[in-house]
Amino acid sequence: MAQLNQPLKTSNSSVLASWSSLVIPGLGQFILGRRWRGIVIFLMIPILGYITNWAQVRKHIGQVEIGSLITSWLWLPFILFWLWNVLDARSLVTGKTYNTLFGVLFAAVILYVTAWNVTDVKLDRLISRIHDAQLVMTDLVNADILTININGTDQICAWECLSGAAGDLLAGRPAKGVIRVSDNMLDIIGRVKVDRPPRWMVVVGWAENGVEINQYVPGTLIETIAMGLLATIFSTILAIPFSFLAAHNVMSRVPGGSVIYYVMRALLNIVRAVDTIVWGLILIVWVGLGSFAGMIALTIHSIAALAKLFSEEIEHIDTGPVEAVRATGANLLQVIRYAIIPQIVPPFLAYTLLRWDINMRSATVVGFVAGGGIGFFVVETIRLGAYPQYGAALWAVAVVIIIVDYISARWRDKILRDQPRETPETGRRWPTILRTTILALLGLVAFAYCWVVTKVNPAALFEPAPTFLRLVGDFLSIDLTPAILDSVIQQILVTIFQAMLATTLGAIFALPFSFLAARNLTGRSPATAWIYILVRSIFNVLRSIEALLYVAIFVFWVGIGPFAGMLALAVTTFALIGKLFSEAIENIDPGPIEAVTATGANIVQVVNYAILPQIVPPFVSYLIYQWDINIRMATIIGFAGGGGIGLTLYTYFGSLQYHKAGTVVAIIVIVVALMDFTSAKLREKLV
Amino acid sequence: MLRIENLTKVYPNGTEALTDVSFEVADGEFLVVIGLSGSGKSTLLRCINRLVEPTSGRIIFNDVDVTAAKGAEIRRIRRQIGMIFQQFNLVKRSSVMTNVLTGRLGYVSTLSSLLGIFSAEDHARAAASLEQVGLSEKAHVRADSLSGGQQQRVGIARALMQEPKVVLADEPVASLDPVLAHTILKYLEQLNKERGITVLCSLHFLDLVHRYATRVIALKDGKLVFEGTPDQIDDAQFKTIYGQEAERISVI
Repeated sequence: MAQLNQPLKTSNSSVLASWSSLVIPGLGQFILGRRWRGIVIFLMIPILGYITNWAQVRKHIGQVEIGSLITSWLWLPFILFWLWNVLDARSLVTGKTYNTLFGVLFAAVILYVTAWNVTDVKLDRLISRIHDAQLVMTDLVNADILTININGTDQICAWECLSGAAGDLLAGRPAKGVIRVSDNMLDIIGRVKVDRPPRWMVVVGWAENGVEINQYVPGTLIETIAMGLLATIFSTILAIPFSFLAAHNVMSRVPGGSVIYYVMRALLNIVRAVDTIVWGLILIVWVGLGSFAGMIALTIHSIAALAKLFSEEIEHIDTGPVEAVRATGANLLQVIRYAIIPQIVPPFLAYTLLRWDINMRSATVVGFVAGGGIGFFVVETIRLGAYPQYGAALWAVAVVIIIVDYISARWRDKILRDQPRETPETGRRWPTILRTTILALLGLVAFAYCWVVTKVNPAALFEPAPTFLRLVGDFLSIDLTPAILDSVIQQILVTIFQAMLATTLGAIFALPFSFLAARNLTGRSPATAWIYILVRSIFNVLRSIEALLYVAIFVFWVGIGPFAGMLALAVTTFALIGKLFSEAIENIDPGPIEAVTATGANIVQVVNYAILPQIVPPFVSYLIYQWDINIRMATIIGFAGGGGIGLTLYTYFGSLQYHKAGTVVAIIVIVVALMDFTSAKLREKLV
Repeated sequence: MLRIENLTKVYPNGTEALTDVSFEVADGEFLVVIGLSGSGKSTLLRCINRLVEPTSGRIIFNDVDVTAAKGAEIRRIRRQIGMIFQQFNLVKRSSVMTNVLTGRLGYVSTLSSLLGIFSAEDHARAAASLEQVGLSEKAHVRADSLSGGQQQRVGIARALMQEPKVVLADEPVASLDPVLAHTILKYLEQLNKERGITVLCSLHFLDLVHRYATRVIALKDGKLVFEGTPDQIDDAQFKTIYGQEAERISVI
C-alpha cells in the first residue's frame, strides 16, 4: 500500500531489498512483506543444496564430468531456482510475484530426479516381470476360500469351479464334489472343534474341567477384530485424563500447569510419531509375542492420537455455558458435569469411532511384528509363498474393514450432524432405559470375549522380560556415533523420497478416476451410475487394505527394495486420494458455476474460473495430508521388504542392537513430527 | 444493597478495563449501565459475582464483602445473584429443563447433582419458572432447537431458579431482534416490580434505557462518567458518553 502511495520514497529501499535476495534467498520477499514466501524460499535453498550434494556424492545421481571437474547437472536447476528467487524479489517491488510455477518447477526437478533414483525405480521390471505379477494376481483372485472335494482330494474352489458348480446345479447334473469353506478360511474366521474347554467356561459352569466339548475356536481375523476393539476402548478411557493435561485452556488455570501442558504435548507428539508397528516391536520385548502385545501397541499409539484430538476439542469448548453455570454458584465438579461434559461427549465419541476405524486397520498389520491376528497369518503365508492363502486373508480383511469403515462413517455422521431431538419425558423413558441396559450388557459380553480372545494378561505388563529393561536403558543412551547417524539419515532420506514419489504417482493416477467417482458427475444418470459404483468400489476395496499387506505382491513382482515399497504406498495413495478428491468434487458449490455461465462464458472459462478455484485448494491440502501419512507408512514399509528405514529398524531390533534401534526411532520421531507440523501449518495456510 | 467502592480491573495483558468506579445500588432498583462496547460494562457486571477477579476496590453486597470471599463463600454469594448473558450461554445439547435446573446447582448437594438427581421441589420450581417465561411446553426439547428470544427466556428462568436478590443482565437483548428486546426486558421489569429483585442491566440503546431504567450509570473507557435518572441524559451528557461524533437516533 505504501508503495502505491509514495512510489518515489520507497523505491530505493525496495530495490535494495529485492537485491538482498541474491545474497540471502528469500530475504527480499520477507522485507517486501511476503513473509511466508520468503521463509519458504529461505528454507528451500539449504534443503535443495543438501539434497543435490547428497545425491551426487552418495548416490552418484546426475553426475557429469566437465573436463577434470566432476559435478552434478542437478546444480543447474539449483542455480536457476536461486535466480528465480532474485527475479521474484525484483518483481515484488512493483507488487507482483514472478511466476511461481518456475520456482516450483526447478525445485521439483531436483527432488523428483533424486527420488526416482534413490527409490530405485525400474519401470522395465514392471513390464519384463509382468508374468510373475500375473501369477500372483491369479492366486489372489482365485484365493483359498472354498474347497471342493473331488475323489477324496481337496482342491481350491475358485470362480471357475464355482461357476461350474452353478452350471451343474442349473442343468441338473450331479455335482463334481462337495463344496465347503476351506481349512485356510477356517483358520481366518475360526472353526468349531472338539477341544478342552477354556478356563472361563469352567468358571461360569458351562463345562467341566478336562472334559472335551464342542466349541468355537476363534480365527486370526476374530483375534484382529478383538484387538482393535479392545485397543479402542482402553485408549479412549486412558486418553481422557491425558487430554485435560494437554489442553491449554484448562492447564493455564492450574499453577504450574503450563509446564505440564508443554511436557504433555511433546510427549503425545513423540508417542504418536512412533508407528503402531514400531510400538509392536518394543512391546514384544516387554510382554512377549502375541496378540496382547499387538493390542497394547495399538492402545499406546491410539492414546496419544486421541488425547491430542480430545485436547483440541477441549480447547475449542464454548466458554459461555461454563461462565453461566459458574454464575449460578456451582462448584468445579458441577461445572464439569453440566457445562463441559454435554459439550465434549459428541465430538469425543466421533473421534473414538474414527479411531476405531484406524485401529482396526492397524490391527490387521500389527501382527507382522507382534505376532497374533491376521498380520501374523499373512507373514506366514508370505514366507511359504502361499499366495492363494495370502489372497484369502486380503479378501477377509477387505470385507471386515469395509464394514467397519461404513459403520464408523455413518455413526460419526449422525453424531456430528447432531440433530436436536425431543428428549423423552420421564414417563416415556422406560423403553430407552431397557434398550440402553441391553446394549450395555451386550457390550460387556463382547468386551469380556475380546479380553479372552486377545489373551489379555495385565500381569505381564508389570513383570517385563529382563531384555526389556536393557531396551529401556539402551533407548535412553542411543547410539549417536557419526557412522550410525549417517547410515540412518541415508535411510530416512530414501524413506521421505519414497513417500513423495508414491504420493505423486498415486495422485496422478487417482485424478482422472476421482472425476469418474464423483456423484454429481457420474452418479446421477442411470447410464453412468455403474461407473460411479465401480470406481468407488475399487477405491474402497483398495483402501481397506494397509500398504504393508500389499508389499508382498510388489516384492514378488519387482523384487525386494524401495521400489516395491513405493508401489505399495502408491496403491493405497491412489485409493485414498481418489476417494478424497472425488468427495472434494462432490462438494463443489454450483452457485459460482451458474454465475460464471450466466456471464456468457464458455466451458473452458467455466472450468477455469468457477471449478478450478474451488477444487485446487482442497486437492493440494489432501496431497500434503497424504504425503504426511505416506511418510509414516514408509517408515514401516521395510518390515515386509519395501526398503527404507523400516528394514534398518527391523534388523537392529532383530539383532538386539537396541542402542542403534533407539537412534532410528529418534530420527523417525523427529522427521515425522517435523512433517506433521509442516503439513498442518501448510494446510492451515491453504484453507 | 450493593455498594461498589473504587473498583479497578487491569487485565493481565495490561488493558485497564475499569478505573476507580464507585456507586451504589439500592434494593429494588432497575439500574442500567450504558457505554460503548469496550467501555467496561461486561467487566463491571462480572466483577460483582467474581466471574472476573477485581484488581482492587471492594464490592459490598448486603454487608458482605464479596471481594474478600473465598471458595464456598463466593459460591454462596453467587447463588443469590442471577446472571443473564448476551449469548444466552445455554448448554445447547441439554434439554431446556436441565438448563433451568442448573440454576439450582448452588443449592443442591454435589453428589446428587453429579448423578443428575434434583428434588421434586426443584422440578416444581423449574416448571414454575418456565411457566413464568411462557415456555412450559418446551421443557423437554433441546435448548438449541429454540429461537434466540426463547433461549434468552430460558436464561431468565435459569436465573429465577436461584431465587436471586439481584439479577445481572449483560447486554441481554444485543443478540436479538429489536422487537424481541421489549419482550425480554418486560420479563426483567416484571421481576423487578413484582418480586422486588434488583436488576443491573447493561444496554446499548438509549430509548430502551428511557423506557425501563429507574437509574442510569454510564461508563467510558472504564471510568464512571454519568450517574442519574434517564431524563438527565441531555445532549451534552450524550456526547460525553458516546463521543463527539455520535448522533442521537431512535432505533425503534
